[in-house]
Amino acid sequence: MTNMYTPLHHITLPDTVADAGIVMREDKLRGHLNLRGNPEDQAFTETVAKVLGVALPLQPNSSAEIGSTCIYWLAPNEWLLLVAAGTQDQVEADLRSALMGQHFAITDISSGQTLVNLAGAKLDELMMKSTVYDCHSSHFPVGKVVQTTFAKTGATIYKCTDGSFDLVIRRSFADYFFLWLKDASEDYGLAVI
Amino acid sequence: MLHIYCPYCEEMREEEEFSYSGEAHIVRPKDPKSLTDDEWGDYLFFRTNPRGLHHEMWHHSAGCRRYFNVTRDTSTYRIYETYKIGEKPIVTGEKS
Repeated sequence: MTNMYTPLHHITLPDTVADAGIVMREDKLRGHLNLRGNPEDQAFTETVAKVLGVALPLQPNSSAEIGSTCIYWLAPNEWLLLVAAGTQDQVEADLRSALMGQHFAITDISSGQTLVNLAGAKLDELMMKSTVYDCHSSHFPVGKVVQTTFAKTGATIYKCTDGSFDLVIRRSFADYFFLWLKDASEDYGLAVI
Repeated sequence: MLHIYCPYCEEMREEEEFSYSGEAHIVRPKDPKSLTDDEWGDYLFFRTNPRGLHHEMWHHSAGCRRYFNVTRDTSTYRIYETYKIGEKPIVTGEKS
């Protein structure tokens, strides 16, 4: 682990900006696993539910959470498992052995993307100018997951219980994402914690 | 900008999230070796280019990354329906 760097490790901003309207926090080195399988195959869904302790979300744009594990619906047969940092190898191995012989795919994509939490009083304004998706609370309830565009890159956006947004962004776009965020929140003040 | 209903995400989304993928319902010939060059060329390269109703594929590239079909009027851009791959269109322009 000593040589692991998060995609946004190079960012240097004061972590206390007076009256910052936007607060960014990178959920560093979280485990990201991509799981694919047939949602209509009961053996598959039941095995996964048994290993993870929670059923896979089958409704479009929904999610499930248990402890530090969060599952995002990505497509009818595809999910993103967000697990505690460093536990992805174990979770992958557990799922592999439990699903042995079944039709499924699991891929560790932790190094390809990162999770960023955006919060703050000016969050709605920031989202309005960053994404084409309507992120207003009347349209984007807690627990909803949406894959859409964010400026000129893509993001998987999740609404947390506290009203903040978790964004999954690609490692290769992390720098672009941060430069956009810095520019877009210039009027509001940006703090990185 | 078009507002497109993704049949997999079950939501209206902005056109920016999608990419166009050409004519839908093109069936690959079962036995390509028995075709003449003209027939194979037609299958590979030639597409209808109608003015009016068109069944076409779209890809939800920034969303669920699934292909689906759209019935759209090419002159007015009006979208009549979107439906999953493997399903049949309801709007065909033929009088029932």
